[in-house]
Amino acid sequence: MIVTATGLTRSYGTGEATVRALAGVDVEFPAGAFTAIMGPSGSGKSTLMHLLAGLDRPTSGSVVLAGTELADLGDKELTTLRRDKVGFIFQSFNLLPVLSAEENILLPLSIAGREADQPWVDRLIDAIGLRDRLGHRPAELSGGQQQRVAVARALASRPAVVFADEPTGNLDSKTSTEVMELLRRCVDEFGQTIVMVTHDPRAAAYADRLVQLEDGRIVRDGAPGAAAGTSRSDAVTHGV
Amino acid sequence: MRRVALRGLLARKTRLALTALAVALGVTLISGTYVFTDTIDASFDRIFSAAYKGADVVITPNDDVALSESSDDLPPIEGAVLDRIERIEGVENVEGSIFDQGGTFLTKKGEPFAAQGPKFVASAFDDERFGGFSYAEGRRPRTPDEVAIDKATARREGFSVGDSFEIQAEAPKQAYTISGLTQVAGVDSYGGAAVAQLTLPEAQRVTGKQGKYDEIDLAVAKGQDADAVSAAIRAALPKNVDVRTGAAEAADRTGEISDDLGFLQTGLLAFAGVSLFVGAFIIFNTFSITVAQRAREFALLRTLGASRPQVLRAVLGEGVVLGVLGSVVGLGLGILVASGLRALFKAFGFELPSTGTVLEPRTVYVSLGVGVVVTLAACLTPALRATRVPPVAALREGVALPASRSSRLAFPLALVLTGLGVAAMSVGLFAGLEESPALLLVGLGAGATFLGVALLSPRLVGPIASVIGRPIEALFGVTGRLARENTVRQPGRTAVTAAALMIGVALVTFATIFAAGGKSTIDAAIDAGLRGQAVLQNQDGFSPFAAGATRRVAELDGVERVAAVRFVQARVEGEGLAVSGVDTEAFPALYRTALPPLGDDSVAVSEDYAEQQGIRVGDTVALTTATAKRLELRVAGIVEDKGRLLDELTVSNDVVARDFGQRKDSLVIVGYSPGKATKAAIDNAIKADFPQVEALTAEEFKDDAAGQVDQLLVLVYALLTLTVIVAMFGIVNTLVLSVTERTRELGMLRAIGTSRRQIRRVIRYEAVITAQIGGVLGILLGLLLALLVTRTIDDFSLAIPYGLLLGLFLAAGAAGILAAVLPARRASRLNVLEALAYE
Repeated sequence: MIVTATGLTRSYGTGEATVRALAGVDVEFPAGAFTAIMGPSGSGKSTLMHLLAGLDRPTSGSVVLAGTELADLGDKELTTLRRDKVGFIFQSFNLLPVLSAEENILLPLSIAGREADQPWVDRLIDAIGLRDRLGHRPAELSGGQQQRVAVARALASRPAVVFADEPTGNLDSKTSTEVMELLRRCVDEFGQTIVMVTHDPRAAAYADRLVQLEDGRIVRDGAPGAAAGTSRSDAVTHGV
Repeated sequence: MRRVALRGLLARKTRLALTALAVALGVTLISGTYVFTDTIDASFDRIFSAAYKGADVVITPNDDVALSESSDDLPPIEGAVLDRIERIEGVENVEGSIFDQGGTFLTKKGEPFAAQGPKFVASAFDDERFGGFSYAEGRRPRTPDEVAIDKATARREGFSVGDSFEIQAEAPKQAYTISGLTQVAGVDSYGGAAVAQLTLPEAQRVTGKQGKYDEIDLAVAKGQDADAVSAAIRAALPKNVDVRTGAAEAADRTGEISDDLGFLQTGLLAFAGVSLFVGAFIIFNTFSITVAQRAREFALLRTLGASRPQVLRAVLGEGVVLGVLGSVVGLGLGILVASGLRALFKAFGFELPSTGTVLEPRTVYVSLGVGVVVTLAACLTPALRATRVPPVAALREGVALPASRSSRLAFPLALVLTGLGVAAMSVGLFAGLEESPALLLVGLGAGATFLGVALLSPRLVGPIASVIGRPIEALFGVTGRLARENTVRQPGRTAVTAAALMIGVALVTFATIFAAGGKSTIDAAIDAGLRGQAVLQNQDGFSPFAAGATRRVAELDGVERVAAVRFVQARVEGEGLAVSGVDTEAFPALYRTALPPLGDDSVAVSEDYAEQQGIRVGDTVALTTATAKRLELRVAGIVEDKGRLLDELTVSNDVVARDFGQRKDSLVIVGYSPGKATKAAIDNAIKADFPQVEALTAEEFKDDAAGQVDQLLVLVYALLTLTVIVAMFGIVNTLVLSVTERTRELGMLRAIGTSRRQIRRVIRYEAVITAQIGGVLGILLGLLLALLVTRTIDDFSLAIPYGLLLGLFLAAGAAGILAAVLPARRASRLNVLEALAYE
């Protein structure tokens, strides 16, 4: 298992104003799998991802990522763990506007002070198909291109797991497809483990497995095709 | 709309505090200067009022001829004048007194006082109505071996009644027993001066004024009209004395001090103006950034129906609140700074009196007025930009403000402004204008140049940042790279931030180069002129000293000759002019200059003055001396003086003694064969009796001069510190705003594994690069200023202190590091999740 969560709860606030975002979640993510997490707004899917990625700390329960219990780590160790073991893809791309596409891709390696594994980086660049635009800055790239750069950045340091937070949320359907196909390839060709939070059932359809959350609990866990259209939340999602 | 403006301010407290502080610091020095000088003024007013309260009429030597405003070293009044007054009807009591500046007092260890303040040897009055002194402890001196000193001096130097106190003035050093400690108007100190009272005959003897007086005070008999008696006295006395009522004399003295203070006040206000100017940059920058960040907010207001004037008023309203807030804080800080200034001057040996802090209404008006006006002026352009946000921007994300006409014109405007600035400075410096319009032109020109370069600098930020940033990037990798890129992201913002620091750095550079050049010029002048082996001077470095010391040295075995130089003043065609007296026999042998033989009625004229006035050899120069004598002197020669020792006019010392009433020496050149006499022997000859005088070899003389230049330089540095601090607040402010703007970026960086330390580094290096851009521009501008200004000084040997300038560049970087502390901490402590969700 790359990531294992056991008895995960997360509450915000105290006393009467307490909100339980996660009410006891047990979930495992095996290596090389592409998992989509879905659920309506407030279902706790983002909270779950933040806890799995070591961006937030659970109220109770445990997360083991690549063999490390996150609860034992201080801020410094968590930062190092995120740097070396985790890749991130954000809804709003979050590329640094002052760096070129290539520099953005290499950013995690630069931060770690590591030499780039050039053949690997070359494969990534070919995979995202932006070799001719490497010198451009994000402002000169389309949204889809920016998100493809972000995908390459997430994979650059060969992380144990990539977390993607609504990766198609800011994209139109054509570029969404491009990005999802790219993510699928990363899983198929490179054996990358990906955990993706999404609202978009079409995006979720690219995953191997769909975990559905409602009110802070997992209500369904299985193949994505079976789930579509059967859940109450799905109607909500389509409605948006 | 008013509420919107207030909300806008309160929502961002850090920024509000930092910007208000920029205003406040500018205002601080203004209010501090006023409080400081008003307080001194009031103290002297109090002292002089007390001193002349009991005197109906005061007779003093005429001070029309004195070049300096101070009337302290005027030739004394002849004793016969007193006799004549006694015979005038209506005079009840009359008393002559001594109040002589130029003595030296010794500490308990036998060293001259370290404090630079004036030292007066005075006589104690018999009539208690005169002089204004009272005895806080003990009593007045009654015998020739007694002295009363002011209580402040006694406390500072650790003397008490019964102790021995040594004085050296015209007469050799002598010890007295302290009989009492004085106060004036209930204050321990006589305006920061040290005053030693002796009996009248002893004071006359010590100061070499036997049978003469510095001042004559009188009381008129009951029932007599002081003005009428005063008029009668005026009619009976010669022209070289002034006759005034006690009140008029007090007002005159206070006026003299006010004039002196006016100079100090102008100087300090100039520094205050610079701080405020720098503060304006910061206000401008803060408003520009926040208006850009709040573009959507303004657009929303416009969509909801707010008019452009309403938006303008909302932003200007923020400016007013900020200006008032900052000015009030500045006013308050100024009162603290006034004491700080006093401490600063005291640290440099100038103790100034303070009897209670004086806050004039004028100080309040000016501080508030200037603070608010400057703030409004600085936020006008950003406010106008805010009005140009189109309402539709509310619906779009990441709107950029439309480029304004003014921003397109900025570059040509900057060039024109810089050109005009340099031109104005050049005209001011080289066109030979009167002093005050010239200074004004230079000041305005410098201001315009600063502004012009600041406007130009957005174009310079990129190139400079890439040069300065390279080594940082090479050393620190990606954090350095991000820092460098961040500085050039908003070149205008970085430019203004850097320009604020640039001004301080430019002035520090200018002062540094000027001082270094001054020192090497002095060195060169001493090398060019001095042929003697040693010089004698007052240990304070500038005052004249007892000629007895010179005679003592002249009599020493092995000393071949001594040449005394005396500096006096005269009035030529209504203008004050400096006159040097020289020993006609010894001087040419000890000083390299082609001085013509000078007789009793001849004068030598400096090359510059002769050229300026069109004077030729054989002409006659008519002048009036301090003793009100009119002299007509024949020009015996025009002197080229590479050593810069001699004044516009040079006469023989015999003429100085006879017609100018000056018997003290200002500088003495001593010639001896190194085998036969030594400097140590000279020291020994004068040490016991004339501790006031020190002997220096040529090298020591240079070091001494350099020390004086350095002392002045440190004072200038201290005053410029405030400007640099304001600029540092500017860096803090810009960084805090940039950090806010880049919150999501920082969140992403943290999420993908950037450590807090790395985040701090990015911010810190950005600050360093910004500060060093200011440093580079400032050093270059300072160099330009120094080159321009020193061109106007003849034979100025420009010595550029490269090491110091490099140090200054590094210091600018250090200032950046310091300024980055708070923003870096903020950036590194951002909550990653909140930062990622930030819009």
